[in-house]
Amino acid sequence: MSTQMPEVEVLTDFAVREHRSLWLDAWRRMKASRTAMLGLVVVVVFLLSAVGAHLFWNYDAKTDLDYSSKLLPPNLVSSTENPNVHIFGTDKLGRDIFTRVIHGGWNSLRVGLVAVGISLIIGCLLGLFSGFFESFEMNRIEKLVLMSGLGLALGLLPAWIASQWYQTLLFGGLGAAAVFVEKKLAQSKLRPVLFAAAGALLGGLSGLLLAPLVGLVCGVVGLLIGLLLNKPVNGKAFSSITMRVMDILLSFPSYLLAIAIVAFLGPGLEKGMIAIGVVGIPVYARLARSAVLSVSQKEYVLASQSVGEGHGRILFKHVLPNILSPIIVQATMGLASAILSAAALGFLGLGAIPPEPEWGAMLGDSYKFLSSGAWWAVLFPGLAIVFSVLGFNLLGDGLRDALDPKMRTK
Amino acid sequence: METLMRIKDLHTRFHTQDGTVNAVNGISYAMQAGEVLGVVGESGCGKSVHALSILRLIQIPPGEIEAGEIWFAGRDLLKLDDSGIRKVRGREIAMVFQDPMSSLNPVYTVGFQISEALMLHKGMNKNQARERACELLNLVGIPEARKRLDNYPHQFSGGMRQRAMIAMALSCEPKLLIADEPTTALDVTIQAQIIELVIRLQEELGMAVMWITHDLGIVAEMAQNINVMYAGFLIERGNVHEIYHQTRHPYTLGLLGSLPSIDEAPGTRLISIPGLPPDLIGLPQGCPFYARCAFRADHCRLERPELEEAGSSGHSVACWRWREIDAETLRKSAGGAQ
Repeated sequence: MSTQMPEVEVLTDFAVREHRSLWLDAWRRMKASRTAMLGLVVVVVFLLSAVGAHLFWNYDAKTDLDYSSKLLPPNLVSSTENPNVHIFGTDKLGRDIFTRVIHGGWNSLRVGLVAVGISLIIGCLLGLFSGFFESFEMNRIEKLVLMSGLGLALGLLPAWIASQWYQTLLFGGLGAAAVFVEKKLAQSKLRPVLFAAAGALLGGLSGLLLAPLVGLVCGVVGLLIGLLLNKPVNGKAFSSITMRVMDILLSFPSYLLAIAIVAFLGPGLEKGMIAIGVVGIPVYARLARSAVLSVSQKEYVLASQSVGEGHGRILFKHVLPNILSPIIVQATMGLASAILSAAALGFLGLGAIPPEPEWGAMLGDSYKFLSSGAWWAVLFPGLAIVFSVLGFNLLGDGLRDALDPKMRTK
Repeated sequence: METLMRIKDLHTRFHTQDGTVNAVNGISYAMQAGEVLGVVGESGCGKSVHALSILRLIQIPPGEIEAGEIWFAGRDLLKLDDSGIRKVRGREIAMVFQDPMSSLNPVYTVGFQISEALMLHKGMNKNQARERACELLNLVGIPEARKRLDNYPHQFSGGMRQRAMIAMALSCEPKLLIADEPTTALDVTIQAQIIELVIRLQEELGMAVMWITHDLGIVAEMAQNINVMYAGFLIERGNVHEIYHQTRHPYTLGLLGSLPSIDEAPGTRLISIPGLPPDLIGLPQGCPFYARCAFRADHCRLERPELEEAGSSGHSVACWRWREIDAETLRKSAGGAQ
């Protein structure tokens, strides 16, 4: 023991590790996995061809028609009998299948990105808010925004049935009212009755403008919404209402729901995107909510609260980055299933409107000619679907392993 | 001395499915500016909950601060609105938590997390905050502070993380630092370093420190005053000397008796307090310590003792029979019996 006291004692317990960021780390593990790299290669090829075709390869689907060369088999070299090269053959209208498969890729990519974008953004926000406010008390503004938002969203259903769109605003108002009368009526037995009546009136009256039956249906739906909104206003109530709605969405077979939505909206690639996006919302909402619930209990969240940070900051700066990995994985996988759903809708004639090139629609157009031996018209769009879905799935699997902290020791 | 914080009749409860948990049951005490207060008691006695209640960090629901006043710098913290209490957190009262492994966010660098509070409360820009964060890391004894700013928490050892947490807590020069078992998760040599560090900083910066622990050895070394808590009640309060040498509460006596002593013959069994603390759902009507107390009388079961003055200089105790308890003779007789 020396008698001199050092001014600042210097730590010797270094636990220094070479600095590696999460993404670099994940990339190293990805590289080690052969299947993940295969998936990545397929995805990159798909992306490049789709984007490249869209940007640099003009193709006018409306004028592409050549009856003289319909249902030609694949032809790799130009000869006197077949002067035109069709490496994938031609379809029933004499269109080059290779061209259409490549351009169909752009449509699939669009559908995938937009649909996943819709479900990702809406689903994650719902999941974030419902998970977060289960552990944090809402302040008044948050209550107002969330409850009126909930009312607006729930009101979409009767508004749609009655095609009176201002109804959503009325139900939004009902949600906001729940916050304002909260103190006075919180314990009152009258509260559920009042809300149910208000909901029934809002739905029923505006429905009556259209037809008595519509009024009845909207009244009943409105009554149920009123009962839901009557719950005491807090994070738990918001979360349980949101999650029950998600459960309802999940209880439909996803294709059936997508078909139903497209049937309402009418066919078209854009409508298909919306339908597929809406069907995907509950998956992200539940994933985000469960992740937020566990992260919210972490001590660093309490610590950031204890230095005086507000809810928004805690949620988006401290909670969100910590739940990103499962969501990224889900989104990658979601791209694959969105492409598949788009193809299914296209096959049924509910997706892209002909003559727009789209893989599912191409299958739907050509499978009738399979019996007459035109295998190429079905095989190549089918392979395109298989490879793109496989690529995204392999990539998603690889990402899941690479981003999983439990695997990090490898 | 100037009173920094006065807590009056604080009640915190948790409404759970099994019933209402009475975590904090009417605690009242005052803290002076620059005081080091030790809060001791066994697990689940409401030490941490009462500290979290001060900053209103209790999760609501299921928690609820039912009654009480917490006066700090001339205002009642329990009556402040959302943004009001946020300005107190970190700037006037800061907190250090038990587990340094999980109290830093793994996705941000240590430097960023320290500067965050500075930018929030002091309105510093990025560079100023970074400079200050560097000074703070230096202050808490982390070598090569400037390099370390860009490290992620997993590159720090446990002791270094707790130092970083302390740096974060000190960043806005709070008047009160609440340390909630900051050394429990660390090994003994690092514990000693952290305690020394906090004591040094407390003297340099002149802030008050509330040190929550179940280790009586630690508070004996560093605290001026000690609060002993049991089942959500404050059962004895006094300065270190009084608590250790003129112990008046049988529970405190039991806690002190359970400490290992260096004079004891090898092989001596440690004394433990028989029984378990009462269920905080549905507390007994009388003294909460009744079931385990060696001094119990019938009266203790029927009526709950209030905190009352026992001797001079603010030593107070909640026990009906404190006059009969003379710590020194009791300790000797206990030693003789073995």
